[in-house]
Amino acid sequence: MRYVVIGNGIAGVHALETIRKLDPNGSITLVAGETFPPYCRPMISLVLDGSLTEEDLPVRGPDFYEALGVEAFVGEHVVDLDAERRVLTTDRNRNILFDRLLIASGANPRRIKAQGLELGRIFFMRNQMHVRDMIASLDGVEEALVLGGGLVGFKAAYSLMKRGVRVTMLIRSGYPLSMQVDAHAGSMILDELVKNGLTVRVGAEVIAFEGNGFVRAAHLEDGSTISCGMVVIGKGVRPATSFLRTQQIAVDLGVLVDERLQTSVPGIFAAGDVAEHYDVARKSRWVNAIWPVAVEQGRVAGMNMAGRDVSYKGSLSRNVIRIFDLDVLTGGLVNPPDDSYLVLTRMDPRRRTYRKLVFRDGRLVGLVMVNEIEQGGVLLSLIHGGHTLPIEGEAVLEPSFNVARLFPHQRGFLQARRTGK
Amino acid sequence: MKKVIVHPERCVGCMQCMAACAAAHSRSKSVHGAVLEFPIPKPRIHVGSGIYGEGFPNRCRHCDPAPCMLACLPGAIYRDDSMETVLIDPFRCINCASCAMACPFGVIRYHEDRAAPPGKCIAVKCDNCLERQLQGLIPACAEVCKSGALRFEEPAADLKDKTDEIARRISLGAVEGDFAHAPALALLNAFKRAQREVNERRP
Repeated sequence: MRYVVIGNGIAGVHALETIRKLDPNGSITLVAGETFPPYCRPMISLVLDGSLTEEDLPVRGPDFYEALGVEAFVGEHVVDLDAERRVLTTDRNRNILFDRLLIASGANPRRIKAQGLELGRIFFMRNQMHVRDMIASLDGVEEALVLGGGLVGFKAAYSLMKRGVRVTMLIRSGYPLSMQVDAHAGSMILDELVKNGLTVRVGAEVIAFEGNGFVRAAHLEDGSTISCGMVVIGKGVRPATSFLRTQQIAVDLGVLVDERLQTSVPGIFAAGDVAEHYDVARKSRWVNAIWPVAVEQGRVAGMNMAGRDVSYKGSLSRNVIRIFDLDVLTGGLVNPPDDSYLVLTRMDPRRRTYRKLVFRDGRLVGLVMVNEIEQGGVLLSLIHGGHTLPIEGEAVLEPSFNVARLFPHQRGFLQARRTGK
Repeated sequence: MKKVIVHPERCVGCMQCMAACAAAHSRSKSVHGAVLEFPIPKPRIHVGSGIYGEGFPNRCRHCDPAPCMLACLPGAIYRDDSMETVLIDPFRCINCASCAMACPFGVIRYHEDRAAPPGKCIAVKCDNCLERQLQGLIPACAEVCKSGALRFEEPAADLKDKTDEIARRISLGAVEGDFAHAPALALLNAFKRAQREVNERRP
């Protein structure tokens, strides 16, 4: 059996390991654009803020491919995939035949339209190289502009602030992380950032960058100008599907996959940020481009590729964000689309906590927790499992909530009832 | 291999396991010494209260596969196969709380610890008292538990215990009233439950 995996992100890495575990003799080939040993993408902002070095990033050793017996072509990009002839072509004109293929090509930063994008010190923040370049050009930069208040924009702003750079963040909605949190938690995050020196501008878009070789200022559509020695563009990501022939493989926003993570073409699978599967909280097709989902999908796709039938129930969006003195944990459907959902919230100013639970038909489907997040995993697994809550929703908001509250009446009690006549 | 087995129906909620756990992970290994240490040692077992106020010792299950291990960003969480224990490398941990999203039992806490570099907060959870076990001691929580809620025993022996209990209960000649394995604890839990029901029905 010839297995080929496209991409050495965490989905690809877990797929490689899973395939090798189940098929010790199959030939496995990897094609990946990045030349670094597999590393942790979500941690690159910690290198930017100076709390980690690049040596802390790898999640597998430099001999990873060799030890697994994987033939690795790194630094090569797939430019064409012929699903009928079952061959892919790389930008070095290499043709690779496959029996089973995993598309784990990840996602690319969304580009923006503006003049002057060719200027120096305008960055995306997606991979290790981007951060290396950013750090190399930090010298003398006093002001930075961050476009977008999503996770990347937020992490870039937070990291640059920790480096002592004055940061202005341009966001469309009234608060950062609007995809992850609700308005109340968003304003708590905003307050925390502003308290620590962030400048936030809401609404306006950049139309042009100005500078002499390096960016010096950004012009907004409302006519105002922001001076900046560095720009970070964090306008979200798009699944990397440009090399796919859409007449052969069904692609929506991401590559469409079934419950075995197989695409519309038998033998071709997709996992991670590029795959469009099903969101268990939204109950619809969705791309959840987050690390833990890539891990899950990489493993399930690997098992199915190696011949072990495993179905994937669906992914759940979730995130945990730590900023200065604030811990925020979110998951599922945080901002319900209509009023058929039951929403419970509780604020506790003394403990500095905030809780929001979103229910649909008695089942928990979304949650926001600010501070004291230790029980978040209990609730996220309730969302993931789709179970009805055995207790009142209000009881979950109690600070003393813990997993024991979810267990049915315990045996000791039943015994007592029988004996207690 | 012997493991700490939790019998929640026997927990009276005294929280002695928490104090013993914190002390076992301190420098001085004593409760009195531990309170003077910095960072102050904290327990890795957490006694929560259930729906009618009964105690519940919540302890890491050392799952396999462990969700926290798969979710860990820097790869700091690993399994020691020989001891069937999931451990956290305090130097690799970046305190990102990704494991907080993954643990379905909510047993991971985040604070400074003796094992971590000074001033660094890390994820902390039960390590099956490996340090004590290497010295021939049993895990501190099981050693201190007086009601039998936490016992260090062979899983097979514990299963046999449970089977025997059921056999006794359904055998001929079983007398009603003999059923409860630990009648006093069963009574205590019944009392807690009754108290709650009375409180709820009060106008």
